[in-house]
Amino acid sequence: MEVEINTEEKQISLEERIVEHYKKHLLENGVEPPSIYAFCKDLEIEESEFYDYFNDFHQLAGVFWVHTFKDVKNRMAADVEFANFSVREKLLSFYYGFFEMLKKNRSYALLSFSESKSILNHQPKNLKVLKEEYMDWAKDLVSEGIANEEIAGRLKISDTYNNIFWLQLLFLINFWIKDDSRGFEKTDVAIEKSVHFSFDLIEKNALDSAIDFGKFLFQNR
Amino acid sequence: MKEQDKIPTSKLSRTGSFLKTGAKVGGNYLKYYSKKIIGEGSEEELHRDNANDIYDSLSKLKGSALKVAQMMSMDDGILPGAFSEKFSQAQYSAPPLSYPLVVKTFRDQLSKSPSEVFESFSKNAHAAASIGQVHKAEQNGKSLAVKVQYPGIADSISSDLRIIKPIVSSMFKISSAELDYYLQEIGARLIEETDYKLELKRSKEIAKSCEHIKGLEFPEYYSEFSSERILSMDWLSGSHLNEFLKLNPDQKTRDQIGQILWDFYDFQIHKLKRVHADPHPGNFLLRKNGTVGVIDFGCIKEFPEDFYLNYFRLMEPGISQDDERFTKLLFDLKFLLKDDSEEEVSYFSKMFQEMHGLLCTPFFADEFNFADEAYFQEIYAMSERYSKDKIVRKAKAARGPKDSLYLTRTYFGLYSLLHKLGANVRTRSLVNEIFD
Repeated sequence: MEVEINTEEKQISLEERIVEHYKKHLLENGVEPPSIYAFCKDLEIEESEFYDYFNDFHQLAGVFWVHTFKDVKNRMAADVEFANFSVREKLLSFYYGFFEMLKKNRSYALLSFSESKSILNHQPKNLKVLKEEYMDWAKDLVSEGIANEEIAGRLKISDTYNNIFWLQLLFLINFWIKDDSRGFEKTDVAIEKSVHFSFDLIEKNALDSAIDFGKFLFQNR
Repeated sequence: MKEQDKIPTSKLSRTGSFLKTGAKVGGNYLKYYSKKIIGEGSEEELHRDNANDIYDSLSKLKGSALKVAQMMSMDDGILPGAFSEKFSQAQYSAPPLSYPLVVKTFRDQLSKSPSEVFESFSKNAHAAASIGQVHKAEQNGKSLAVKVQYPGIADSISSDLRIIKPIVSSMFKISSAELDYYLQEIGARLIEETDYKLELKRSKEIAKSCEHIKGLEFPEYYSEFSSERILSMDWLSGSHLNEFLKLNPDQKTRDQIGQILWDFYDFQIHKLKRVHADPHPGNFLLRKNGTVGVIDFGCIKEFPEDFYLNYFRLMEPGISQDDERFTKLLFDLKFLLKDDSEEEVSYFSKMFQEMHGLLCTPFFADEFNFADEAYFQEIYAMSERYSKDKIVRKAKAARGPKDSLYLTRTYFGLYSLLHKLGANVRTRSLVNEIFD
């Protein structure tokens, strides 16, 4: 029993070591290690040990994003005020927290995108796991919004709202990468305005009355 | 959290009239872009549409204000001032800051969330200030007003000024070089307004220098709960002018309040030589017991000594009869320009003399009744006459020192407050000290 716990601890620390080493390498050299072989040699581990955790560097780079995401989520969950927030406020809170966290690691975050020109046209593989996690979270958020009527439940269409929020996150990351305002204040404005805009679209609005009216006409002619 | 139930969001609806223009201008942009997509929109058309809508609401909002401003500026030089007012009000049309962003601002600036800083803090904004919004907080049994600034304001000022420049320039036919002269001044004031630390410092200073004026109350400011973008102060009671008038205050109370305002401004301009240059009704809280609370020291204009002396020399009794000195003063103050033809010199001197005489009337009496409709009618009529005058319309150059921009705005604001208040004021002024 004791032995098992020990190996598990050792395993966790190896994963962390790999993540840390990768981060250090990228920050100091500005480019990825030439190969997994070279990376493992540098870290003094067997290449097979690397594959116990990651298949390639993209997966490894994705860990940073998922960690950031989870950290923000945990921090929000710990905030007593958060539970009483509307869905719109929860999403805003998340974005502010997310970019606050990213700010601490801006150099590293920027390196994540050095190869792709615009992350909107060409979604980086590094963000694959983040996408899955975020989409799940956003889906719950949308359900919550539909339940409390903040968001209009629209057949089929509302199922895709978490996609919209994913694109919104990508848009904001892209904006933040290019933001040269003091303290990234413009990203704050972009968050505020884009969230209000998206909620204006998905809350009950003229569109719903139009569809409702159209349905009525269709059924009664 | 209980707080939020008590505070009605509907208070924000008072910003409605500004929203309307915002929406219209926004609509103009949309029209422009949609036309651009099908390839027929022109940028000029956009600016023209914007200018029309802004001008519409300006004249509706300000009414006579605009006209007097026009007149005081002689060649519309003050209009950028009126515009700056409009411009800062345009900020009202921004949707209120979301609570998460307020929290973020607190974390950035004070390293704590509002609920950690204060015993209680209203989640919804209580009112919109020009470049931020006001929340109500409770601390040690006191109510505080906490102003939180919108992000990115300082950054956007110069670009916003660039946007309005062609509009103003085409609306009032001022060349863009002339306009720069005034916009610099306006830009500098607006930038200062975004620094709440500076506002806190100045508020404290002015409050201290004016503490001898009876019936005037300033809030206490709390530097421990303030930063560049957060400003905490006591929550003052009282009503804004329009609401106050609905309470039917008696003449004695009106006179008393008018007197306090007159003394307050006279002391600032002529003793401190720096003034709360934003005397719009929202910055004064009036009480039935005849006292006045003053808030919002974001816009402070300081007057250079030589400008001050030259400018107020114009008020020396009998100076306009002394042709030589009067003309020289007008040249020094750039009301007259060295390229002016002889005809222009005599025309503009006469015009300034007439306007100046009329505007200074309250100063030359011991007591002045600002309720006097005839006096204000006379000002408007003169303004109307000159604004239609060919020589004035043809004049291309901006006249008047840029330091006078906020001075005239201040006096105009004060007159208009006193007029609405219908106050009878003893208009003795400290300006007379410079003539002794």
